[in-house]
Amino acid sequence: MADKVQLKTRPSQITAVDDVWLLHFPRFGEEGTHYHTYGMLTPYFRGLGEGRLMATRCVNPRCPISKGHGELWLPPRADCPDCHQPMVWEQIKDPSGYIYAYTHVERGGTGLEIECPYYQVDVKIAGVCTIIKGYLLDRKPIKIGDKVRAGFRTGADATHTCLDIYWELV
Amino acid sequence: MIEFQPGNLRVPKWTRPVFMVAAGTTDYRKRYPQKKLEELCMMAFRMLLEENDLKMDPLEVKGLINFACYGEFADHFQDQLLCEAKVHDYLGLDLLPNLGIKTGGATGGSTLLTGAMAIASGMADCALVLGWERMDEVQTWTGNYYIASAACKDFETRLARNYASYYAPMARRFQEMYHVDERVRAAIAVKNRGYAVCSPYAQQAGRHTVDEVLSGEIVSDPLRFLECCAMSVGSAATLLCSEELAFKLTDKPARVYAAGGSHTLRTGDRRPMRIPLLPNETEEDYRELYKEMEKQDGRWPGFESFGATRFAAYMAYRMAGVKNPIEDLDLVETHDAFTISDLQTYGDVGLTLYGKEQDYVTSGECYLINPHTGKQGKCPANLSGGLLGTMHAVGATGIFQAGEVFWQLQGKYDKFHGDPKLWERYGKKKPDDWQSLQVKNPRRGLAISHAGVGSHVVCSILEKA
Repeated sequence: MADKVQLKTRPSQITAVDDVWLLHFPRFGEEGTHYHTYGMLTPYFRGLGEGRLMATRCVNPRCPISKGHGELWLPPRADCPDCHQPMVWEQIKDPSGYIYAYTHVERGGTGLEIECPYYQVDVKIAGVCTIIKGYLLDRKPIKIGDKVRAGFRTGADATHTCLDIYWELV
Repeated sequence: MIEFQPGNLRVPKWTRPVFMVAAGTTDYRKRYPQKKLEELCMMAFRMLLEENDLKMDPLEVKGLINFACYGEFADHFQDQLLCEAKVHDYLGLDLLPNLGIKTGGATGGSTLLTGAMAIASGMADCALVLGWERMDEVQTWTGNYYIASAACKDFETRLARNYASYYAPMARRFQEMYHVDERVRAAIAVKNRGYAVCSPYAQQAGRHTVDEVLSGEIVSDPLRFLECCAMSVGSAATLLCSEELAFKLTDKPARVYAAGGSHTLRTGDRRPMRIPLLPNETEEDYRELYKEMEKQDGRWPGFESFGATRFAAYMAYRMAGVKNPIEDLDLVETHDAFTISDLQTYGDVGLTLYGKEQDYVTSGECYLINPHTGKQGKCPANLSGGLLGTMHAVGATGIFQAGEVFWQLQGKYDKFHGDPKLWERYGKKKPDDWQSLQVKNPRRGLAISHAGVGSHVVCSILEKA
C-alpha cells in the first residue's frame, strides 16, 4: 500500500457552453451520457484545475445575516440563501484548515474513484462559514484538530470534479 | 435559514383530528425473489384490511378508501418510474387518486404526514398510506452507490459512494465532543437486534454482545458492520380516517399528530444557530453546552445533532400537547439506520438534554426492562427491532414504525408478533425464547422518520383515543 492515496480514474470530459462547463457522465456509452452542468459554479471547478480555491461571499449590505460582510461559502453558491442576491467570488490563498470530522473509508460503493483505504475529511477553514468535505492524501493515523493544507490536481491530472482538491497533513 | 421570523414557527393547526385504525406489513428480507413488488404490497394491504379486528368486512373497508399515498425512496433501484400506478392498480384501487411521496429515508413518515393532511383537510375521510422498497435487484455495493446519490453529486458523492461514510464523520465528531464510549453505541445495536428476535418480520435479528459488535468488520470508521442497517425488501401500510369513521371501524383507534422539518443535504453546510427549545427546556439548560461548544469550535446542530428532527419535534409536541417528552411519551421508534443516529436522536427529541444522550442510553430508560431497576423503562425505544434489527425497506420504514407504535397502543404486540402461524407465514419458526415486548398500558408513542444525514425528518405522535 502506497503512503499516499491515489486516484483510479481518468479525467472526466468537459464540454464548455459559453462560460459554463458540462461534465460528462458516460453511463451507457456515448449515446447514454449524462451532461451535468456546473452552471454558475463553473469558476470553482475551473479554479481547482488551475490550482486555485475559489469561494463566494455575500456583499449585500441589506442582507439580514451578512450585512454586506459575510463569511465565505465553500462549497460556493452563486446566490445568497439569506438575501437571494448574487454572491461574489474570492480566492482563498494558500488554503489550509483543520480536520473537523473524518472517517476512514475501508470500502466504497461501486464506481468509487479513490483507492481505498483513505480518510474522508471535513475541513474547517478560518473565515469560511461552512465545512467542506474532501479526502486526505496521507494514510497515517489522524485526529480531529490536525492541521491540513490543500493541494490540487492541475493540468493533465485534473479530473474536472471535486476530486481535484485534496488535503495533506501539515 | 439560521434565524427564524415569526411566520416560520407557526404550529400546524389541522382542521379536524386524524386517526389510525389499522396497519399491515410484510416480513423483510435482504433478497425477496419469491414475490414481485406489487405482490409484496398486496401482502401488507391484506393484513391491514383483514387482521386488524375492524368492525366491517375487508372489502367493505376497502370501499371506504377515497385517497392513497404511496412512499418509495428510489426509482433507480427498480428502474421503474410511476411504480405508484402499478401498485395502485394491483391493489384494485383505480380510479381513485394517489400521490407518490419522496423524501429519502423519511419517505415513510412523509407519506404518513401526507395521508394525515388529506384527512385533516377534508380531502379524504379514509386514506391508505402504503410504502415499499425493493433494493435487491443490484449487488450491495451498487446499492450503496445508489443510496450515496443522496449525498451531493457535485461535492460529496465521489468521496465515498457508500452512505455509511457520510454518517461516520458525524459519529466521530459526536463521540469526541461528548466523550462517548463506543460500547454505548454497540449496546444500541445489541438492544435493537435483540428486540428483533421477537419479530416475525425481522430481517437480521440476533442476540449479540457488545464485544461482538466492536470486534466486527469496520464499514466506515468508527461504524462496525453490526452498527449499520442493511439493504431490505418489503412493504408496510396504515389506514387513516376521520374521527367519525374511525370509531365505526374500531373501538381502539389512535389519534395521529405529525410534523416535519428539513435541513441541508451537506452536513458541513449547517451554519451555527440557536437551539429551538422544546416545551420542557430553557436557555439556562444549554448555557454550559454553548460554552463547551465554543471551546471545541462546535456548533448547533453541526455534525452532532439533527436540526430537522428538533424542528419536527418542536412542532409535533406543540400539536399534541406534549410538555415533557420523557414523562409524556411511553415508547419511541427512532430511525436507527446506524447506532449513532439512534444516539443523536435522543437529544433532538428531548428525551434528554443535548450533550446527555450517552447518559440517557446508559440510564436504561430506553429499554423495555431497565437493566438497572428491573422495571419498565420510561420510554422503550425500537421494540420493533428498528432499522438495525428488523427492516429498512426505505419507503416502508416510517410507515412500519408507526404501525408498530399503533399496535403497541392497541395492546396488540403479542397478536402481531407472537402468533406461531404468523411466523410460519414467512417460513420461520417462532423462537423458543420468544417474549412479549408489549409496553404496559402505553398512552402515547413517537415515531421518527429520517432522511439522509438529516435532510428531512417527520415526527409522528400516536395517542390512544
